[in-house]
This record gives sequence, structure tokens and C-alpha cells, in this order.
Amino acid sequence: MKKFFPISIASVLIGVYLVLSLVVFPSFYLSKEIPNPQPYFDVKISNLSILLGESFDVNIFSKNIGEYGDIHILSIGFPSLDKITDEIKLNNSDFNHQYNFIEKNTLVGSNYTAGDQKVETQYALIEVMNRPSPPNGSYDFQFSVTPKNTGLYEIYVKAIEIPHTSNLSHFPHQGMLDPQSEYVEVYSVIVNP
Amino acid sequence: MELDSKPIIQKSRRVFLLGNLLMSLGILLVTVGGSWDITNHVLNKPESFVSIPHGVMYSGVAMSLIGTVISFAIWHKIENKKSLKISLKLGVIGIIVLIGAGPIDFFWHSTFGLDGLLSPPHMSLIFGMILTSVGGMVGLVRYHVISKSKISKFLIIVGLLPIWLASSGLISSLSLPFSNTDFFNFNPEPVTALMVATLCYPFLISLILISASRLSKNKFGIISLTGGLFLAIYGSTAILPNVTMSETILFYSTNLIPLIVSDYIISKLNYKHAKYIGAGILGSTFYMFYYPYIMYTYNEVLLGKLVSPSLIYSIYFELIIQVFLITLIPAIIAAFAGCYFSKRVSDKIENL
Repeated sequence: MKKFFPISIASVLIGVYLVLSLVVFPSFYLSKEIPNPQPYFDVKISNLSILLGESFDVNIFSKNIGEYGDIHILSIGFPSLDKITDEIKLNNSDFNHQYNFIEKNTLVGSNYTAGDQKVETQYALIEVMNRPSPPNGSYDFQFSVTPKNTGLYEIYVKAIEIPHTSNLSHFPHQGMLDPQSEYVEVYSVIVNP
Repeated sequence: MELDSKPIIQKSRRVFLLGNLLMSLGILLVTVGGSWDITNHVLNKPESFVSIPHGVMYSGVAMSLIGTVISFAIWHKIENKKSLKISLKLGVIGIIVLIGAGPIDFFWHSTFGLDGLLSPPHMSLIFGMILTSVGGMVGLVRYHVISKSKISKFLIIVGLLPIWLASSGLISSLSLPFSNTDFFNFNPEPVTALMVATLCYPFLISLILISASRLSKNKFGIISLTGGLFLAIYGSTAILPNVTMSETILFYSTNLIPLIVSDYIISKLNYKHAKYIGAGILGSTFYMFYYPYIMYTYNEVLLGKLVSPSLIYSIYFELIIQVFLITLIPAIIAAFAGCYFSKRVSDKIENL
């Protein structure tokens, strides 16, 4: 009996450990809600009508109005461009990561899957991100555009938070779908001859 | 003349010990910086070579270099120096490989930008770390064998911990899917990665902890202390920096239970196969020991979910029972192999 007592105690302790590690803690942590970050942005354009050869400024104030997020992504699309040229001049970025210029026909993530499903871009994009994305974190992104053609100059803007846990994890929540099957806000400036 | 020369020899051995200590502690610092660096990459994806974790790592390299230089300079003055030759050799080769990794790493970052976990500079770094830490450990254990003092038992822990962490880095590099970059995709094949993790982690845990016990002549507390320090380092560099996971430190702390139980079985119970029982317990808990990043390896094969830092713990716990059941038998067998190998290793070091 004396011989088996210590090994019995050891077995009980290992049993307790396994119950805690495999049952109690997993159920406890899995019952907790996953953070729900929510992006939002406000766009200010200096002139909604310009003459060819003139420039207009775009200021985007992007923020996380929800809970803690891992990544805050701002994407700006230029449907009239195949790649970002000297037509676009970047003035300021508060994001903690370097912006990326993405050319037409580049594989990018779609359907809010953060790269799990990919499609080819149909036009040039600027993507910039902040990692991590704390609650109330706000970031400015400013650039100027000098269009090279007359007509309607459009810019598509969207923001996504990772993890993408609900419809509130992207902004806008509705409207036009871009080629990545993600909602975008459309802004336009008339370029007169 | 004989009497006068004795203190000089003893002093030179102590200086050699200091060199070995610096070698091991330096590598320990490199591994702490390395683990922190992985977390930094997962959370912030830094774009620059210059970062605090890299600073910690290269401070550790500098410390190990100083230690190796001291050991090299004093070695010829030591009486009975033959038994320490292997320590010095490994230390010197290791530090050369380690220092060589610095410029290669800088070049790699400058040329290819962000690098993955598995890359030529990182492999060079890890092999250098393993060689240097083994060199340091042999010197420290030899000192313990000769001095036989109570306090020198702690040298075994200082010697083994950096080997454990550096070797864990090697296994992680070969099993985690963290190596797909813009230029290269060095990610291991998922099923192979799963097998590497399932066999190598339990083998390593068992090898290190049972060796610690053997080298300390089964002193109670050595396994718990070595394992506890490992948990403290992993907890503070891989769990606490992630705000969404900091609460799970409570779960991670429960890993002290199998450590203490195995320690008790091996040290206090006079069973014929006590070491194998202890090794089996320790090996079977490897998925819990290597929380949280080990989840990525099993997720690749079993779930295939997209992981972002705040989802790490939920996917980990979603997998825990499945992984435990799948890996239990192979992990115990690998741990037995580690236990068997630990006898060969500790006998060899003790009888140099």
C-alpha cells in the first residue's frame, strides 16, 4: 500500500492536469468572444471640379472604432490607372507600415479572406496598413492627384480590419462591390478641358 | 613550486568557467531575443532589420563571443585541459558560424526584405547557437563534475537551457509555416512538418530534462527548475506580448504540474523505469509546452483556418484534444528515445 501511495498521488495530479488542459481551460477560453474591430473612414477632397493640368488633394482619416484588431488595412483604388505613376503624389501617411503600390493584374485577396481567396486586380491600388490596430487608433493618409485626362476621375476607398469577424469588420458596409467582391466608397472629381 | 602553482591552475579553471558561463548565458539571451522576435513578426510584421529583439539577440552574440575569447585565452593554462578541449572546439566553431550569420542576415534583409523563419542566415544563426551552447554546457558540466559542490548543480541548468531553446528554434524552423516571403517559399510541407513537430519536440523535452536529472544525480528540483525557466521564457516572450492571449498564461502555468510530478517520480521513487515514466509524461505534454505557435503546424493539416494573432488561442484550443489524441503514442515513443539518448550523452560528458 505504502509503495503505491506516491504513484497514486502522481497519477491523480496528472489527471487533474489533463482535465484542466484539455477540458476546463479550452472551454473557458473558447467561450470568450473574439475581438470585433470596426474600421471607419472619412474622406475630404479639396476640389470636386478642376481644370485639366490642375491638382486636387485627398485626405483620408481612417480609424478603428471597435475593439482591438490585428491589422487595419486601407485600400485606395484608381479605376482609370493600370499603375501608380507621377499622377499621384503622396503627401503624408501616419500608418506604421509602408504603403504598397499594386499594379493591374496582380493577385490580391478577395471576399474579406485576407489573402485566402485571391483575384487579379483590374486597376491600380494603393494599400497601406497598421499592425496591430488598437481601439480608437486613427491614421491619416494624404495624397494629391493631377489627372492626365478630362472627364470623371474616380477613386474607390475601403477599409478592412483583421480579424474579419462580422459585417462590421469592413467599411463601407454596403454600396458598390469592387472586383475583389468587397464594398467600396466611390469618390469622383470632374476634370474639365 | 608545486604548491604555488596550484592556486594558479584553480584560478584559470574558474576563469574558464566564467568563459563557459558567458557562452551559455549569451546564447540564452539570443534565444530569448529570437522568441521575442518571432512574436514581434507575428504581431507587428516589422519592416526593418533594426528592432529591439534583434538588439537583444546580437547582445547575446557579443556576450558569447567574449565568453569564447576568455575560454580560448585561458584554456592552455588549465591543468587536465584535455577534457575541456571539446568544449572549446565547439564554442569556437559555434561562435564563428554565429558571427558569420550577422552580415548574412543583414544582407538578406537588405536584398529580400522581410525574411521567414527558415532562411539561410537563420539556419546559420541556429546552428551556431546550438554548437556554442553545447560547448558552454560541456565546460559547465565538467566543472560541476570536478567541483562536486552543491551550488554547481545549477550550472547544469544554465548549460542545458540554451541548448533546449536553440534546438527548439531549429525544430520550429522546420515545422512552422512562417517561411513564405515575397521572394522565397521555404515553408515545410505540412504533413512532414507535423511529423517533425510530433517526434522532435517530445524527444528534445525528454533529452534535456532527463539529462539534467542524470547529470545532477537525480536531484529533486532540477527538472522542475529547468522546465519552469523554459516556461517562464516562452511565457514572457511568446504569450504575454500578445494582449489578446495574456490571460491564457494561467493555462500555460499548469505545465508546472507534469514537470513537478516527473521530477518527483524520477528523484524520489525507486522504480526501475522511473526515468522512462517521467520522460513519457513530459513528452506527451509537448503540445501544451510549445503553446501557442505549435498550433500553426497542426492547423495547416487538421483545420486549414486563416490565423491572425488574436485568433491564435481560439484555434489552438479548438485543436488541443484532437492533437493530444493523435500524437500521444508517437510522442511517448519519441520521449523514450530521448530518455535513452540522455544516458549516452550524460555518460559521455561525465567521462570525458
